[in-house]
Amino acid sequence: MLKELRENYNRDKFQFILTDLTGRVVQSDQTLLSVEENVAIGEAHPFFLSIPEIMDAGRETATFHCVQLGTPMARLTADIEIHRKKDGFLIVIEDLTQHYRSYQKMAQTRNESIIDSELIVLKNHELQERERFKNEFIQNFSHELRNPLTNIIALTNILQRTDLSEEQLGILAVLKDSTSNLKLMLEDILSIAMIAKGKLALNPSVFNFPHFIEFLKLTYTTRAKEKGLAFSVTTDEKIPEYLEGDRIRLLQVLTNLCDNAVKYTKEGTISLHVALNQKRANTASLRFSVKDTGPGIPPESLGTILESFEQLGQTEGVGLGLAIVKGLLDLMGSTIKIESEVGRGSHFYFDLKLQFPLREPIRPAARKHLPPTKAKAPAKDTQKYRVLLVEDNEQVQTSLFKSLIEPGNFFIDVVSDGALVMQEVVNSKYDIILMDVNLPNITGDQLTKAIRAFPFKDVKKIPIIGITANSYKAQIKAYKKAGMNAVITKPFEQNELLKTMQRLLK
Amino acid sequence: MNISKKIVVLGYFGVGKTSLIRRFVENSFSNDYKVSIGVHIVKKTVQVSTDDTVSLILWDLEGTDDIASVRESYLLGTHGIIYVFDVSRPSTFQSIEKDLEALAKKVPGVPTQVVGNKIDLVASEEVDATLTEKGISFDYLTSAKTGEKVNELFEHLAKILALDAERIKGKLQ
Repeated sequence: MLKELRENYNRDKFQFILTDLTGRVVQSDQTLLSVEENVAIGEAHPFFLSIPEIMDAGRETATFHCVQLGTPMARLTADIEIHRKKDGFLIVIEDLTQHYRSYQKMAQTRNESIIDSELIVLKNHELQERERFKNEFIQNFSHELRNPLTNIIALTNILQRTDLSEEQLGILAVLKDSTSNLKLMLEDILSIAMIAKGKLALNPSVFNFPHFIEFLKLTYTTRAKEKGLAFSVTTDEKIPEYLEGDRIRLLQVLTNLCDNAVKYTKEGTISLHVALNQKRANTASLRFSVKDTGPGIPPESLGTILESFEQLGQTEGVGLGLAIVKGLLDLMGSTIKIESEVGRGSHFYFDLKLQFPLREPIRPAARKHLPPTKAKAPAKDTQKYRVLLVEDNEQVQTSLFKSLIEPGNFFIDVVSDGALVMQEVVNSKYDIILMDVNLPNITGDQLTKAIRAFPFKDVKKIPIIGITANSYKAQIKAYKKAGMNAVITKPFEQNELLKTMQRLLK
Repeated sequence: MNISKKIVVLGYFGVGKTSLIRRFVENSFSNDYKVSIGVHIVKKTVQVSTDDTVSLILWDLEGTDDIASVRESYLLGTHGIIYVFDVSRPSTFQSIEKDLEALAKKVPGVPTQVVGNKIDLVASEEVDATLTEKGISFDYLTSAKTGEKVNELFEHLAKILALDAERIKGKLQ
């Protein structure tokens, strides 16, 4: 029987095996597998052990593709057909090793590429999660810092106005300086958190470019001089006098770059140069560059220097400056570029497209003739006002209380429980309310809404100033939408609060 | 009693089916990923009690991203199924329920063990959190690399099959 079958097939590629119904070999070729007659077929390969179950329930034929029958030494990939015969089974094995080898190569490439891309997606997801966690932490952390910092600033200001010895004044100056540095750091931290969360929006306006540069020149000439460094500023004369852009954020970028240059440079020169790349219609493309003669950045650090909390060596600060620069420039559609050589210095530069008005903006006439004045303290007001301070934090209560007591024209009631506010507002007549936003149980904006919805005019019209550590524009907008007349963000200066109160009490 | 049982090991590609079998049969492991095509069959005998052994005929099926497309013939005469997923790749366990339903239709009533492999790659709390969050129930969490729970998995299935065989034998007598 096998002889007849084999005549129709390529001799080397097929093997025919006849077994009885128990799986004992009756007759077999030895073309592909070594199969002894009168021995259980399962001895040749474990595949055949399952034949009785496979052919169970009267199945006539079964075909198996791509069965690995080889050994580590000799590869054999075959298709196998099992046919039920009268007294047993006919097994036909076709060697398709070559055919399946190319399939295996294809599958290997395909699967590896799919797995690799899945792992990249997972890795990215993990990195995003870490970034999110970091930003949440930064936001919460800076939020928590704002309350005590507000107290320190307020109490330092009050202390400054008391009778102090020379020595005490010196100590106080250091204290104010440190507080101011801490405030700047906190602002940096908040900036980076806001950039990372996509909550920072640009606020473009027209500004005077020479004045803008003059400010930087004055600031950094002094700072550089303190360290024995030279600071030079050059600008292209063809740059329009007025430009439109977010002046504050551009200033933040340049001050961070200049701060870094001053911080890391021990001797030599720091130069700020602004060149006009191109001027077209009402758009000017400018190149801002800051060069220093500092220690330079090692090539291995260039890749990470723009990341948050990265610093070269032990220096002051939290290592956010360049990350803020990168984030702000991203927002402005620009990119910071760095050229640096260890031992020679660094060059940071970026190109920025800014619009310029075709006509010079009208300047307020009065301002031109006014002599320069020092910042004025709020005008003395002799009228007495009743203030409701809604604040649950005792430290903030104390510092606000002291700030308001000092001018002498405020009577202050303090409520720390939001639930009591409505009762107080109805029973007593207040001229103004200072409302902390984050109160337990009910928020300051919810209370404001409730007051604004009150039926009596004298209650619903009471000016409300929100006091909060939340500084996002959207949040402040929401508080105002709830009915707050003004919102002051912590940390704030006593003057800022008094001025706002006076404005609303008029 | 000495019985032979066909076990099909299946799951998405790259989840470590071949590595699990190799760890169980040869007690070895390789970090290199070599795609399995078609089916590879090996046998290992497990002692389930003093007098009883079960010869597990392990059918290591080619990985797929669609269990419904597994060749019907590979499942013929199957006594047990091991469904493997990779705890470090969510794509390999996002359709478990659907896959198990498809298998139950193709081979109804066959004991199935659901196994999360590669636990050496992910922190255990993270694995627990992910699987709980996605509502995935499993029978074993294994590592073919370290060998954790690998023998337990196969031996447990062998015992289930031995008990089934005892039950059927009892009924026939």
